[in-house]
Amino acid sequence: MGYLLLLPILFPFAAASALALPALKTAQNRRRFVVAALALEFGFAILCACTETGTLPVLPLGGELCVTFALDGLGRIFSLLVVCMWLLSGLFAQEYMAGEEHLGRYYAFLFLSEGALMALCCAANYLTMYLGFELMTLFSLPLALHTQSDAARRGGCKYLFYSVFGACLGLLGFYTVHAYGSSTAFTPGGTLDPARLAGHEGFVAAAAFLAVLGFGAKAGLFPLHAWLPAAHPEAPAGASALLSGVITKAGVLCVIRVIYYQFGAAFLRGTWVQYAWLALALVTVFLGSMLACKEKAFKKRLAYSTVSQVAYIFFGLTLLQPIALTGAVLHVVVHSAIKNGLFFTAGAVILKTGRTDVRALRGVGKAMPFTMGCFTVLSLGLVGIPPLGGFVSKWLLAEGSLKSGVPVFGWLGPVVLLVSALLTAGYLFSITITAFLPGKDFDAADAPHREPGPFITVPLAVLTALTVLTGLCPGLLTGPVAALAAALC
Amino acid sequence: MLNQILLVPIFLPMGLACAAILAGRRSAAARDGVACAAGIAAFAACALLLGGVAGGAEFTLAIPGVCGRGLSFKADGFRALYACIAAFMWMMTTAFAREYLGHESHRSRYYFFTLLTCGATIGVFLSNDFFTAFVFFEVMSFTSYVMVVQEESPAALRAGETYIAVAVLGGMVMLMGLFLLDARLGTLDFDALTAAAAALPDKTPLYLPGALILFGFGAKAGMFPLHIWLPKAHPVAPAPASALLSGILTKAGVFGVLVLTGRVFLHDAAWGNVILCLGTVTMVLGAVLAVFSVDLKRTLACSSMSQIGFILVGVGMQGLLGAGHALAVWGTGLHMVNHSLLKLVLFLCAGAVYMNCRTLDLNKLRGWGRGKPLLAVCFLLGALGLAGVPLGSGYISKTLLHEAIVEYIELAAQTGAPVGLYHAVEWLFLFSGGLTAAYMTKLFVAIFIEKPNTPAAGPKRSYMRWPSALAIAIPAFTLPVMGLAPDAVMGRMARLMQGFMNGSDPEHAVAWFSLTNLRGAAISLAIGAAVYLLFIRTVLMRQDADGIKRYVDCWPKWLDLEELIYRPVIEKLLPFAGALVCRVLDNLTEWTLRLLRLTLLRPRPISPRNEADFAPGDFTPHVRRSYTLQRIFGSVSYSLLLFGLGFCAAMGYLIVILLTK
Repeated sequence: MGYLLLLPILFPFAAASALALPALKTAQNRRRFVVAALALEFGFAILCACTETGTLPVLPLGGELCVTFALDGLGRIFSLLVVCMWLLSGLFAQEYMAGEEHLGRYYAFLFLSEGALMALCCAANYLTMYLGFELMTLFSLPLALHTQSDAARRGGCKYLFYSVFGACLGLLGFYTVHAYGSSTAFTPGGTLDPARLAGHEGFVAAAAFLAVLGFGAKAGLFPLHAWLPAAHPEAPAGASALLSGVITKAGVLCVIRVIYYQFGAAFLRGTWVQYAWLALALVTVFLGSMLACKEKAFKKRLAYSTVSQVAYIFFGLTLLQPIALTGAVLHVVVHSAIKNGLFFTAGAVILKTGRTDVRALRGVGKAMPFTMGCFTVLSLGLVGIPPLGGFVSKWLLAEGSLKSGVPVFGWLGPVVLLVSALLTAGYLFSITITAFLPGKDFDAADAPHREPGPFITVPLAVLTALTVLTGLCPGLLTGPVAALAAALC
Repeated sequence: MLNQILLVPIFLPMGLACAAILAGRRSAAARDGVACAAGIAAFAACALLLGGVAGGAEFTLAIPGVCGRGLSFKADGFRALYACIAAFMWMMTTAFAREYLGHESHRSRYYFFTLLTCGATIGVFLSNDFFTAFVFFEVMSFTSYVMVVQEESPAALRAGETYIAVAVLGGMVMLMGLFLLDARLGTLDFDALTAAAAALPDKTPLYLPGALILFGFGAKAGMFPLHIWLPKAHPVAPAPASALLSGILTKAGVFGVLVLTGRVFLHDAAWGNVILCLGTVTMVLGAVLAVFSVDLKRTLACSSMSQIGFILVGVGMQGLLGAGHALAVWGTGLHMVNHSLLKLVLFLCAGAVYMNCRTLDLNKLRGWGRGKPLLAVCFLLGALGLAGVPLGSGYISKTLLHEAIVEYIELAAQTGAPVGLYHAVEWLFLFSGGLTAAYMTKLFVAIFIEKPNTPAAGPKRSYMRWPSALAIAIPAFTLPVMGLAPDAVMGRMARLMQGFMNGSDPEHAVAWFSLTNLRGAAISLAIGAAVYLLFIRTVLMRQDADGIKRYVDCWPKWLDLEELIYRPVIEKLLPFAGALVCRVLDNLTEWTLRLLRLTLLRPRPISPRNEADFAPGDFTPHVRRSYTLQRIFGSVSYSLLLFGLGFCAAMGYLIVILLTK
């Protein structure tokens, strides 16, 4: 059954190659193929998640190093998230990108980056994860560059530089684990070898710090966050959604693997490393929200919001506390759904009205009531208003934070999270309010009905439903994750 | 018992809200019907609950897993009664809204959000832990926002801004308080809170969470200094919505304060003092603002604030009086009920005025109510009740509150504690009661007694239809029943409610109409008469050129906490400071890189070249490089990038070599 695991990893590569076939050059055929392939990939991922696939060594590189795949509980959650969001973004692109040039290239890299992400999710050791991470950077870069504008190129270069620099730091972590650990395979609780570690704790801790900082670059962690607001908004909306909603989470997955499966929570708990991470996370939370408030470009505002929200997750991870970890993983799913949805609405607004500035959105709610209605629910979810998803994850993060017993950050964390929630309310509700309540002097004739088609509204509805569902019955997800978290901390 | 009944008044209106919006697409009448049916169904379910509870039953229900911690509901006397009042108010206002909103736009939106708010508010009142209460409280805050901005006028939008800002801020601060309370007590369950808090030898660690939660609930109740939204939002909302905002949504805030006082800080004097101070300030400030106002609904809104102050004074006395706090408990509970019903009547009367005159300015409304006996009687019943005139319902609750203060002064005097402050509170209490009488007289005289500026033109026509009249008259004529038979109605209500606040029966039966009690009311009314005659009729009225006395608004415009402090700080100062720090942090990495390029890692100067020049290693020889691209390829980022790639390759190669040996 082991080889089943290769199916979701390799199929996207095959699909990307197939796009070169002459039969798929027409818009109609390409559309059918892309949707079918994404759906098929979705099916494969579910199939893998439902079967016990075991560990699959694929490519021995000599010594104990080997490209190895395995799908554990965490990998299942992330891989399902990836295929689900990819499918929705693929559907969204059918309307958003219709009639654009270079569509073949766009879809090809869409598939390639999906394959790289699946490899990352299924990675069973540090080396495989590192390879997946680099591949993901390279394959997702063309998505960010797609529009080929100057701003996109500048953003793309920043993206590449920060990601590769981050990956280098990640590589440092790999050498350290290899030198001081018993193995580089992912093992809950860490693999550091006490005998080899003795006397080198300082160095190893510093390496762990840098490795997490490096992978954190992908998640937009301060101080390596600057690429995110530059690159994400320049991509087409469907790709921005994936970059912000899912690819940042790949950084999170790597961080979880490094902290909990390689260095081990016990080794890091109470060290300066943990406090430094927490401080960086809180700085990022505040920074992202504050700058989002000040930002006037719709998509850039959402990108800054991502910086802030992913730092919530990072905060939860570095508390090294099971409840906070559960909250962090829940927030991965919640934020992914919400941020994808928000970028879809931004895309729909741009597509239908051409407006990119938040100040120009007056009365848009009258023209696109369904889209902006979803936007409202999603923003309520992001702020953390019950009974929506963001509320539960925020509650778990704060509960874990207060129970963790970490000095200062234990109570400071929830305070910063709530301040950031206030700012989030400020930068999202203002959009909703001007969109739906333009005032009495607004002429309804200015806003003819311009709702987008089903390729946009259906994914939006799905994401909105997911936001509500994660709020109403988070137990479906937090139950298994809590068991996992208890084993990790 | 059938515990599932608890869910009906909460989720049925929410479900019917969706049905109403769907029905609204077909026909307005069907939608109005659905909305009224929702109100009636919710009231029926709550009445069933109340009947069951009065018969000694108790309803509890827990739904585990929802929102993580699960929801838990319970109906005891207080909660069932208040759910019942809430549903009653929705029923009446929805019936009234049919005519009031008859010619407005966005009626479906109004019904949708008002029914959602109905379910959420009843959810707050039936909750059995802070978590459930918070969930419904937040839903209520957001859905009621749409009720505030319903008319979309600039004033409404601005008031809505204030409302939602206070709601979000209050919600977040309360959430922090809940996190801390949960961490320190280990429970948020109302039933377990009393025991958990009593088990703590030292209550000091509870004060911070208590204060934070008080901030959240107090903001909704309109407690000073978070009252700013109240005098702005209530007047701009449609009248039925104002009645709900003022009559019942503020009580959801008080509900939380009661849980804190009666459970977490049971018999805690320090806590009682804090609430008493805040309550006194709210009570006096609201009354003073109401006296100055020349706008019908604004006066009523400020009055709401003042009456919430009365209730909070009662809550404070509960903490101060300790175990013998029965009078304070009764007074608090009854004044809540009174105020809900009174404000329902008064705001609906204001609605009847507005839907005919389209103005709320007392000078323009002058004498409009002459010859409209039904409206006049209803308004008068409300005014008498609010002013605490004997035989009105307000007299009963205000007497109880007054007695509680007097009792505490006596107790404190016996133990030798300083009582000067509490004497001041007593006098301020009577003074505010007087102001209540004064501003209600001002309203009544202006609308129903004074001669109109211009004689009414045109033929006399009906000013409201029978469902609206019924919606006003039913609650209005309930009031004297309550006031005339205090033991039969109000005493019974108080007995139902006292358990929630951990109260018990008073030691001796209350002599409602004893001489001392009547004396308090008489002092209050005397102050009211003096204020009305000597202040309102002289200082607040000026004769204009036509020789007509006009009401003038003498309140200094600049003296507004919101415009003076809150808005400048929140809109200008904090964002500026925050953004400054964040911009610096945001650019830190980029600036560091740039600094490095200027110092240690100076790039080779790029000389302008001809297109024909081809240098090895230059990947884009035929493209004229833009300034931007020059900067990218000449940048340290690019060099580092190449370095990084080379480094990766080299290291990968090394690994393979080393490990294959």
